Amino acid sequence: MSFISLMGALEIGLIFALVALGVLISFRILNFPDLTADGSFPLGGAVAATLIAGGHDPWMATGVAMVAGAGAGFVTGWLNVRLNILQLLASILVMIALYSINLRIMGAPNVPLIGEPTVFAPFLPADGDAGYWIQPLVLAVIVVIAKLALDAYFASQSGLAMRATGANPRMARSQGISTDRAVLTGMAISNALIALGGALYVQTQGGSDISMGIGTIVVGLAAVIIGETLIPSRSLWVATLAAVIGAILYRLFIALALTADFIGLQAQDLNLITAVLVGFALVLPAFKARLRKTLGGIGK
Amino acid sequence: MMRAQNLTKTFNPGTPIENRALRGLDLDIPTGQFVTVIGSNGAGKSTFLNAISGDLAVDQGSIHIDDNDVTRQNAWQRAGLVARVFQDPMAGTCEGLSIEENLSLAWQRGARRGLRRAVTPALREEFRARLSTLKLGLESRLSDRMGLLSGGQRQAVSLLMASLKPSRILLLDEHTAALDPRTAAFVLELTDQIVADGKLTTLMVTHSMRQALDHGDRTVMLHQGRVVLDVSGEERARLDVPHLLAMFEQTRGETLDDDALLLG
Repeated sequence: MSFISLMGALEIGLIFALVALGVLISFRILNFPDLTADGSFPLGGAVAATLIAGGHDPWMATGVAMVAGAGAGFVTGWLNVRLNILQLLASILVMIALYSINLRIMGAPNVPLIGEPTVFAPFLPADGDAGYWIQPLVLAVIVVIAKLALDAYFASQSGLAMRATGANPRMARSQGISTDRAVLTGMAISNALIALGGALYVQTQGGSDISMGIGTIVVGLAAVIIGETLIPSRSLWVATLAAVIGAILYRLFIALALTADFIGLQAQDLNLITAVLVGFALVLPAFKARLRKTLGGIGK
Repeated sequence: MMRAQNLTKTFNPGTPIENRALRGLDLDIPTGQFVTVIGSNGAGKSTFLNAISGDLAVDQGSIHIDDNDVTRQNAWQRAGLVARVFQDPMAGTCEGLSIEENLSLAWQRGARRGLRRAVTPALREEFRARLSTLKLGLESRLSDRMGLLSGGQRQAVSLLMASLKPSRILLLDEHTAALDPRTAAFVLELTDQIVADGKLTTLMVTHSMRQALDHGDRTVMLHQGRVVLDVSGEERARLDVPHLLAMFEQTRGETLDDDALLLG
């Protein structure tokens, strides 16, 4: 694998680290199986690309994209806590609604951003050289800030209330926690992060496309599961770190699998590789335990 | 002071499995009184408790805690007034969170939760001091996960959590039923101590007539969603389990066939 393709994989891995952090909040902390991601990731992309193409400041566009994502997450949560629609179903409804909404926002199936300013522009050298390592660096800084902010939040009273809501809602209510509000807040934060990922994705890929959201949730979950398998921990700051590392490793695996000519895999095999990888990560803990048992038996 | 007036609650109304759990239940508990509640299965004990805590909305009647009409409030809105220990040791705490995080959740019961740190060094000292009163050695395990504790330890911590902040009424829902006899005795002793120290208005549901008479100041028996027996003071002091049984049978004019009431 060349240095440039390695940097490319790192770049997308860091973007999906934001998605993974979002998925960690919904699936793991709130215990809310949320598929909104497949809609909120391209929503972030659509909002950011449309605003940037319309001549607005890229940072402002990215901020608005996050607000839009938060709104999408809030609606999913609202459908669940107020209208009692099953979590999975509520998120599917919002996901398919967002497909239409994203088309409306973009006004076309795609919005190119070639030559437009991006959040990375101020950091890139004027001659367009050496940009391939600066973008991952800027993204890394954003991911680290997001991770640390989340860690700080989940150590706060409000964040702890959210964790209790996911772990034991009845106990949470008996301690005076509005579990409804905690779910709405958590879903908003989760999808804001995912939309941030989408907004940064279009700025690294040169444009937004209506189909860019397909499979987002699978990749986010894959990252979380790979992270948990490699770095199992009960502590939250390790869990967020594991999600970030899981996302980066996942993209590196994919890049490796696709560039290693001797395997003969091609771009269209991406989803197959993902499924195999996630399946492997899921059975790995059980396999490790069995291996330890076997080895222990030999030791006796 | 807690006043429940004419509470009714029917589950699955108009269906073959209709269950009239509460049928006009009245109960007044003056401030500082420790009331024990007994009754056979299906008498409405749990429904009554869940109605007071707000886990369940009643069909009719009203619930006042001090001067607050809480009838229409849900569980989290009343939490500032109501503290609770559940029957299941797993239910009252979060097993994935540490001991200090669980205590911190209880420390903020009924209060606004902001962006301040949930566990500060000062708070940790406070928790350590409170935990040491349990004499279980938990004060040195603040950052251990709750799930690592035994059922009895968790129930003791639940009790501590319920008494960490002042409440107007403490609800104990058969909180020793899931424990072995020795641990149950320990938790009961702890209950008496915490209730006495805080002069807490308390409602304890129990399956055991023995427990009901040995603890608290007043014993109430529920049957078919109503209070059928209410003893306190001299009269209660003279009572023993066989008397209580006899009184129950007399009140209802029927023979008691539920062994569960005799146990313990």
